[in-house]
Parts: sequence; structure tokens; C-alpha cells
Amino acid sequence: MTDEKDQSLTCARVRVLIEPFVDGDLARNEPALAEAVRTHLTTCDDCRRQHHQAVSLPFRLKALSSPQPHPSFVSAVMREVATTRQNDSRAWTLLAPEAALAAFILWYLSGLQGLATIAGGAFNDLQSLTNWGVGTGSLPSVPAVDLIFLSALIVLTALAAYHVSVLVGLDTTSTPAHRTRITSD
Amino acid sequence: MTDQPQTPQTRPRWTWALLIGGLALAGLLLSLADIAIGPKWPQPLASSLALTTPNKFERERQRPLTGRPQTVRFEQRDPSQVYVIKAPIGYGVPLNPLQALRVFLSGGAGLVLLALAALLIFPTRARTAVERLEGRHGIEIALVAGIAVVLLIVAAATLLRYTLVFLPIIPILLLILVAAALFGIACISLATGRLLKSRLKLVPVHPLIAALAGTLVVFDLAVIPYAGVFLLAAFAIAGLGLAVVTRFGSPGAWSFRDLNW
Repeated sequence: MTDEKDQSLTCARVRVLIEPFVDGDLARNEPALAEAVRTHLTTCDDCRRQHHQAVSLPFRLKALSSPQPHPSFVSAVMREVATTRQNDSRAWTLLAPEAALAAFILWYLSGLQGLATIAGGAFNDLQSLTNWGVGTGSLPSVPAVDLIFLSALIVLTALAAYHVSVLVGLDTTSTPAHRTRITSD
Repeated sequence: MTDQPQTPQTRPRWTWALLIGGLALAGLLLSLADIAIGPKWPQPLASSLALTTPNKFERERQRPLTGRPQTVRFEQRDPSQVYVIKAPIGYGVPLNPLQALRVFLSGGAGLVLLALAALLIFPTRARTAVERLEGRHGIEIALVAGIAVVLLIVAAATLLRYTLVFLPIIPILLLILVAAALFGIACISLATGRLLKSRLKLVPVHPLIAALAGTLVVFDLAVIPYAGVFLLAAFAIAGLGLAVVTRFGSPGAWSFRDLNW
């Protein structure tokens, strides 16, 4: 019964089985089905053409010449890898100058109390500004600031912003979602 | 038979309930211990909740039995003063288990609700952020980024303080900072819940239940006497860093490509 059924294979079924037939998997696992495909191929021109293409595909692929990479390909890859590594180290080492600057600023302000005084002053000025906005007070004056302190603040802001930019650009390819996307692609 | 894949052994569903109950109980006990330490730096809870002075009823009761007639019969007492016990540890501060319950129901529930709300409102963003946290050096990057962002905000806010025009930006900046830290803590809680699930081989449940367990872990760590404040600060800083590094969990990374045309 099975043989009779296999001998009446349709072209669509044979097209599906051609790949395992060419690879030899079909003959190993289901010899009867492989025989049926072989029989079908002797009678069907279209399927025989498909079979021929499937058989010749590895040889045709082998005959293709691999495209040569751009001369700068290797150096570009190496440069890219080197930059990542440099960024990796910078992400951690930048903490040292930041800590030093923060410590200097705290020392210059006489510790956390100085910082708290500035925060209190900002809050008072904000209240005065709100009162001025609703017409019940006068505009607060711009507070005086030390040039060294201001410079240190600007440097710390720039350094911290640069540090954040380094960290943001760090190793985004290592997330599981990215890996899954790469795998599925 | 031997070729069949082995299905990993998972614990039954009720283990989650047991875990969450245990974490809640640990939170209560740690809150009590936190208060027992007394109003010593850096204990934010203890200074406000410790029963350091006797109330009016206690003062009346301790008065010597001379002079005017004693006690009003139906004097209403503050429930927080009823079950006062002597602290077994710490500095002998009078303790009340109800105070610990209050801390747990206010601080803990607040944290849990905020974290779950953040996950409910931004599920995709939370997933991106958690995936980043679970990636290579995810925790370290979040922590260092958080430190850098805190320094940046403090320095920038101090600079803004010296410009009268941009002074109103400071509170807005601080609000964004708090929102980012809360979002980050919610993501850390979810990551902790996922970690608990995989490490304890628990059966998969609704992600919010895993996040609830994770948030309770964060709360429990935050009320450890003395160390809790620093741990909470570390969580907030790491959460802030995570929110900044992932652009609030945005699927597209930070890029200046659009500006380069």
C-alpha cells in the first residue's frame, strides 16, 4: 500500500523532498520514499530540472569567486575594536578625576555644609523669584561667585557629561535582546 | 530515553506566596530593628519614629500619688503608644511593633506601588532597561553612570544657581532626577525578581508578581539598620544611571547620527 501511495507522489511533494533526496538523508531514513522520488524523476521533466539544479548548486557555488575585502577592511575592524577597548577603560578611569574635582569643590566650599548653604540660597532665591513673579516681592540679586569655584564647576560638568557619553556608547551589543535580533537576522 | 531533554525541576506555585510573605515579614522585622537603633545618624526612620519621650498619659501615670485625684477613667490613648516594649537591641529606645508596621505599610507599600506603576505604564521600556542591566557589566555601568549623572546634576544645578534666569530649571531638573531614579529602581526590582525566579528555580508567574518580590527585596535591604540608607542610595544611583544609559528604556540608543547629515 505504501509503495503504491509513494509512487503517485505529486510534483509539489517531490519539490519538498528534493533537498533531503540530494543530500542522501531520504535514502538513509526512508528508502521507499526515496525510491518513489527517483521513479517520479524519471517521468517528470520539471522535477528532473529542479533535481538537476539542486545537485549542481554546490558546484555552482564553489565556482563563484569570493569578493575581495576592501584593503582597509582589516585595519578598520582593528581600529574599531581598539576604540571599544579604549572606551571600556575610560568608562572606569574617568571616575578618578571626577572624584578629585568633587573633593576639591567640597574642600573649597568647606564640606557638605557649604554645599547645603548654596542649596539653601538657591531655595531662598527661588522663593523670592516666585514672589517677584506674583508681584509681592522684589527681584533677588545675582549672587557673587568665586572664579576658581566657577571654573571647577564648569570642568566637573564637562567631565561628567563626557563620562556619561562614554558610558552611554558602551557595549550596547551585549544585551540579550540585541543578541536575539542578530541571531534571528 | 537518555537523549530526551531534561525538563528543569521547578518549585510549586505557592513558593512565590511563601517567598513574598517571608520578604514582607523580613521587612517588618528589619523596620523594627531600624527603629531600635535609635535616632543615630544616618537613620532617617528612627529619628522620626522612635518613642523617645513619654506621652501625656504616661506622664500622668508616673506622677506621685499626692495632691489632686488621679487619672481620668476613659482617657483615649494613641494606638502607637499602647504596645510599647523595651528594645532588646540598640540604645534602649522604647519600641512599638505598630511603628514598624506603619513604616512597612507606608514606605514599603509606596515603593512597591510606584515600582509596579512604572512597570505597568512603560512595559517595553522596562524590558529594554532590564535587558541592559542583565547584559555584560550591566550593573557596573549603571552604577558608574549614576555616579557620573549625580555629579553632573549637582555641578550643573550649582552653576544654574548663579544665573538668575535659569534658577527655576533646578526644581524641574530635580523632579526629572527623582522620576529617573524611580524608573530605574522599578527596573532593578524587576531584574531582582527575575533573578530570584531563575536562582530559586521558581515556576513562571505574572511578571508583576516577580517584580513585587524584587521590590520587597529592595525595601528589605533599604531598612537594614545603618547600611540600609547607603544601600538605598546605591539603588537610586544605579537606577538613575540605568535610566540615563538606556534613555528611559528607549529602544533606540543615544545617537548623534540624525544631526550628521
